[in-house]
Amino acid sequence: MARKMVFIDTSLCTGCKACSVACKAWNDLPAEKTKRIVSYQTQADFTPTTWTYVQFRENYKNEKMQFNMIKLQCFHCADPACMKACSSDAIYKTETGYTLIDQDKCIGCGYCTKNCPWEVPKTDSKINKTSKCTGCIDRVEAGMKPACVQTCQPGALQFGDYDEMMAVAQARLAELKLSNHKANLYGDQFMGSTTYLYLLEDTPYSYGLHPNPVSPISLTIWKDLVHPLGGIAIGASAVAIAGGVVANFVMGNYAKRAKKIAESHNEGGK
Amino acid sequence: MSPSFGRGAMTNSWQDMQNSECFLIAGSNCAECHPIAMKWVNRARAKGAKVIVVDPRFTRTASQADIFAQIRPGTDIAYLGAMINYYIENKLYDEYYVKNFTNALYKISKDFAFNDGLFSGFDPETKKYDYSSWAYQLDAENKPIKASSLDDPDCVFQKLKTHFSRYTFEVASKITGIPQEKIKLIADTFAAAKPGNIFYALGMTQHTTAVQGIRCYAIIQLLLGNVGKAGGGIQALRGEPNVQGSTDMANLNANLPGYIPYPTNQEKTLHDFAMKNGSVQHKPLVALLKAWFGKNATAENEYGYQWLPKNNPSNMPIQPQFFNKMAEGQFKLLLNWGSNSTVSIPDRKLVARGLSALEMLVVADVFLTETAQFWREPGLNPAEIPTEVIFLPAAFVYEKAGSMTNSSRLIQWKEAAIPPLNGVHPDLDMLDHIFKKVRALYAGSNDPKDEPILKANWDYGDHEADPLKVLQELGGYNDVTGKPIASIGEYLAAPVGTVSTGCWIYTGVTPEGQNLADRRGNADPTGLGLNKDYAFAWPGNIRVLYNRASCDAYGQPVDPRRKLIWWDPAQNLWVGNDGPDVADKTKGPDTPEGKQAFRMNPEGVGRLFAATYKSGTLATPPESIAAVPIRGAGMTVDGPMPEFYEPIESPTPNLLHPNVQNNPLAKIVSTDFGNPDEYPYVLTTYGVVEHFCAGAITRNIPWLNEIAPEPYAEISRNLAHKIGVKEGDEVEVSSARGKLVVRALVTDRIQTLKINGKDQETIGMPWSWGFASLSPGPSTNNVTMNACDPGAGTPEYKCCLVNIRRA
Repeated sequence: MARKMVFIDTSLCTGCKACSVACKAWNDLPAEKTKRIVSYQTQADFTPTTWTYVQFRENYKNEKMQFNMIKLQCFHCADPACMKACSSDAIYKTETGYTLIDQDKCIGCGYCTKNCPWEVPKTDSKINKTSKCTGCIDRVEAGMKPACVQTCQPGALQFGDYDEMMAVAQARLAELKLSNHKANLYGDQFMGSTTYLYLLEDTPYSYGLHPNPVSPISLTIWKDLVHPLGGIAIGASAVAIAGGVVANFVMGNYAKRAKKIAESHNEGGK
Repeated sequence: MSPSFGRGAMTNSWQDMQNSECFLIAGSNCAECHPIAMKWVNRARAKGAKVIVVDPRFTRTASQADIFAQIRPGTDIAYLGAMINYYIENKLYDEYYVKNFTNALYKISKDFAFNDGLFSGFDPETKKYDYSSWAYQLDAENKPIKASSLDDPDCVFQKLKTHFSRYTFEVASKITGIPQEKIKLIADTFAAAKPGNIFYALGMTQHTTAVQGIRCYAIIQLLLGNVGKAGGGIQALRGEPNVQGSTDMANLNANLPGYIPYPTNQEKTLHDFAMKNGSVQHKPLVALLKAWFGKNATAENEYGYQWLPKNNPSNMPIQPQFFNKMAEGQFKLLLNWGSNSTVSIPDRKLVARGLSALEMLVVADVFLTETAQFWREPGLNPAEIPTEVIFLPAAFVYEKAGSMTNSSRLIQWKEAAIPPLNGVHPDLDMLDHIFKKVRALYAGSNDPKDEPILKANWDYGDHEADPLKVLQELGGYNDVTGKPIASIGEYLAAPVGTVSTGCWIYTGVTPEGQNLADRRGNADPTGLGLNKDYAFAWPGNIRVLYNRASCDAYGQPVDPRRKLIWWDPAQNLWVGNDGPDVADKTKGPDTPEGKQAFRMNPEGVGRLFAATYKSGTLATPPESIAAVPIRGAGMTVDGPMPEFYEPIESPTPNLLHPNVQNNPLAKIVSTDFGNPDEYPYVLTTYGVVEHFCAGAITRNIPWLNEIAPEPYAEISRNLAHKIGVKEGDEVEVSSARGKLVVRALVTDRIQTLKINGKDQETIGMPWSWGFASLSPGPSTNNVTMNACDPGAGTPEYKCCLVNIRRA
C-alpha cells in the first residue's frame, strides 16, 4: 500500500470536535473529566486516552477576529524522533507512512515523549504503556478512511495517497495565498515530512506549534552516525555530541528505569 | 415564508447550497448547529462564493466568513429594512422578476395606512388587526387590479418604497450597532453575487418579531430575483432531523397534517370550513378524514367532520402557554414525548408550576430527563406535588424504523439498526398500544362523544405497529382503484372524496409496491445536486421549490449554468432536471397557469406585501367546488410588511416610533420584567455543537460531556474589566425572572456595541443544561423571557435584559 496522507485544512475547520469524539468511539477510548480551559477548548493536551483534540486560539487584531481552530494529533513523521529514541524497538514505521507503537514491546519508558518535538505520545504509568494516534491503521489497511476524516463535515480533513494529497494541499495553498500571504503548509519541511500535513492561515507560532521542529541533534548523531559505526572515533566535536547523548540518557535515568521495567515484565507483572 | 411564497418550507436543499455565489448566514450558527451545511457551503466557497455572517457574537460559523457583522440581538429587521430601502432606491432589484413573479404591480386599497408604528385596522382592546384594509383593489371579477408601472402610487412596490424609506443606513446602524459602511458592504456584496442564498434558524425565529424578520428575507430574495433558482432561496435550517416532518404532521395546533387550517368552532359544518378556507383546503381535509375514519367517513356524514374536535380560537394556548394553563387547571393529563420542557421552556419556573397541577404526567424518553423527574429539582418540595408520573423508556433513533423529513423536505426511510433493549419500545408501538387499550375501554359505548375513538381507522398491525403502514397512510390511497396513490398528479386529478391521504403533500411517496423514501440512488448527472433518485422530496419530488421563476417569458432557463426546468414546445410540456413546480405541466409559459411561479399563493406570484385575498368565487356549493378554484392567502397577523419593534425587554427606546416600543401583538407569558437601569445588559442564548437541544441525550454521553462539560457566560473584555472578572471566574447572571451561576468566558468574539450613541454590552449563554443527567448544570432558561411571536408562537429566547456580577 502506498504512502498515505491526511491533509488538515485549518481554514475549513469549524472546531466542532467531532474528530476527537470519532477517535474515541472508534478506538474505544474512555472520556475524561474535563473543565473548560479557554475559549471552547476543554482538552488541554494529549493523554493516554486522548489521541486527538482541537485547540482554540482567539487572535483579535485591528478590529478583526482570527479564530484559529486546529486539530492536533501525532504527525506520523517520515523520520520520527520517537522511533530513534525508543528503548525497546517498539516504535516502527509502516509502508503507508504511519508511525506506530507495538504495545507488546513498549515498556512505557517515556523516552519517545521527551524526544518528540510536540510531546505527542503519553505514558500511562499504571500499566507502563505509551500510546498515541495510530492513524486508524486498522481502518486504513481495510481500505477505509481514518475515523476523524470520515466524520469531518466541513471537509477540513482529507485522506488519500501522499502525492495526490500533496497536490491538493499545494493547490489549496495557492488559492488561499491569493487573499492571505501568511498561509503556509506545515509538515512537509521537517522530520522527513509528516503524514499529517497542515495548511495554516497564520504562522505556526500563532497556533502554538514549533516553527521548525527537529529531532534532538544528539539523538540524530547517536542513532544515525555513532550507533551504526560501532563507536569509531569520529573527531572531537562528534565526541562532544556523543557525550551529550550519554548525558541525555542519564538525565532520563534511562538504563535503570528500562531495566526495572524489563524485570517487572519477566516477573509476570504489568 | 408561507405568507410570502405559499409554502412554509425551506425552498432549496442541502446539496443545492453548492450552487450559490453568496451566502447571508444571519440567525444561524450552522457550523455548530447544522454542521452538514458547511460541507455544501464549502463546495460553493471553493468555486468563489462569498460568506456573510451576521450574529450577536463571532461564532465558529463566523470564522468562515468573508464579512462578519456583530449585531445587537433582536434588531435584524432594522438592517434588513435598510437593505430593502437601498435596493429599491438604487434600482438594484431584478425588474423582470419583480414585475412578473411578485405582486409589486398590484394596487393596494386606499384604506391601507401605516402611522407611528401601527398598520391600519389595529384594535387596541383586543390587540389584534382587522386585515380588511390590507387588501388589493379588485376588479369586477374579484381579481386584483395591476398598475401599469412600478411608479403607480397605489402599487405594492410604492407601498414598500414608502414604508422602508425610514430605514436608512444611519438609523439601522444606531439600532443594530453595525457600522453604516458595513451594512452597505453587506447589501452590495449580497446584491452583486447571484444567486444569493439566505440561511436562518432559531436566531431569527426566537423573537417576538420572528415572522416579520423572515418576511424581510423573502422581500430581499424576491427583489433580487433569487427565489426558485438553484443556489438561491431561503433555507430554514431545522434543528432536529425530523423538525420539518413534525411540522408537516401538524405539531402546531392551528394546523392539521399537510398545513390544512385546523377547523375552529366557528365552522360548524364541512360546508362552513370549505366556505372559509376554499376548495384547496376542502379536498385535503376530506382526504384526511377518509384516512382517519376509513369506511366510516362518507359524503352523507360529512366524512366524519363532526368527529374532529374543533379549536376554540379564544383559548388556544401555544406550548409556552400550556404550563400556565396547566397551573390554572385546564389540563389533567400530559403525554410528554421527546420534549424536555423543564430545561427548554423560557422563564422555566412556569413549567414545574404547571406540571405540579396535573393529575398525571407520562414521559416517554431515552433517558430519565429533568422533565421526567421534575419534582426532584432542588428547591421543590415533592410532598407538595401530587402529580403521578409514569416513565416509558423509549427506543433510540437507531432502534426503530420509520421515515424522517429533514430540512430539504426530503422524506427518508430508515430501518432499525439494532433491536431495542428489553422493555423498551419505539414510540409508535407505545401509541399503538395505548390507543388500542383506550378503544377497548370505550367498546360498546353509545355516547356520541366516544364516536371518534370507536370510528377511527386504526390498522398498523396486530402486535407491533408497522411504520411502513403509517407512511403508506400518509402517501394515501385511491379509493376507486383501491391502490396506493402513484403521484401527486393522481391526487390532484381525483374528484373530492375518492382519495384518502394522511398528509396530502406526501402523496406519491409510496406508489404500489414501492417506498420511494427508501431510495438511495446517488446519481447527479447535472452536477447541480438534485439527486432525484435519492429518497423523495415533497411535493412531488421537487428539489427546488418555485422553480418556474428560474425561467424567462418563453419558459427557458435564465441561468444557463443552473438549468432546473424549461418549456419544451415540441412536447408541449414543462420538463427539466428537476420536477417542474407548475400548476399544470401542459400549460405553456404564456398561459395564466404557465406564468405562475408561486402557485400556492392565490395570486400565483410572490408576495412583497402580504395582502388579504381569496381567489375564485365563493358562491358555489361545496361538493362541486373542485371545479371552482378558491384559495386563501397565508397571512401575517402583525402587518402586511415587516416593521422593526424592540424586543420585549430592551435597553433603548424604539427609534422609529417611541410610542410603539414592542410588537403590539406579542403574546407575553412571563409576568416579571426588568428595566435597563437594574438589568443593563442584553442576554442572548443558543445551542452549541457539542450538545443537542435540552441535552436529554447528549448530557448522558460521556464523550460529549468531555468536550463540553459546563455552561458559561461569554462576555467582552470591557464587561469583564467593568465587573472585575477574569477568564474562568464564577459569575451570577440574573434577570427579573431568575438567576444562575456559571463560569465566565472572557472573549474578544463579543465586542461592546454603540447603540444610539451609548455603549451596550451583550452576554451570550448556551442553554442545554439542567439539574439531572451525567453532567448536570444550571439552566439558562431561569432568566429568559417567555414572550412569543404572535404568528408563529416562538418565544423570544434570543434577547432579554440581565445583570451580571462576580459570584
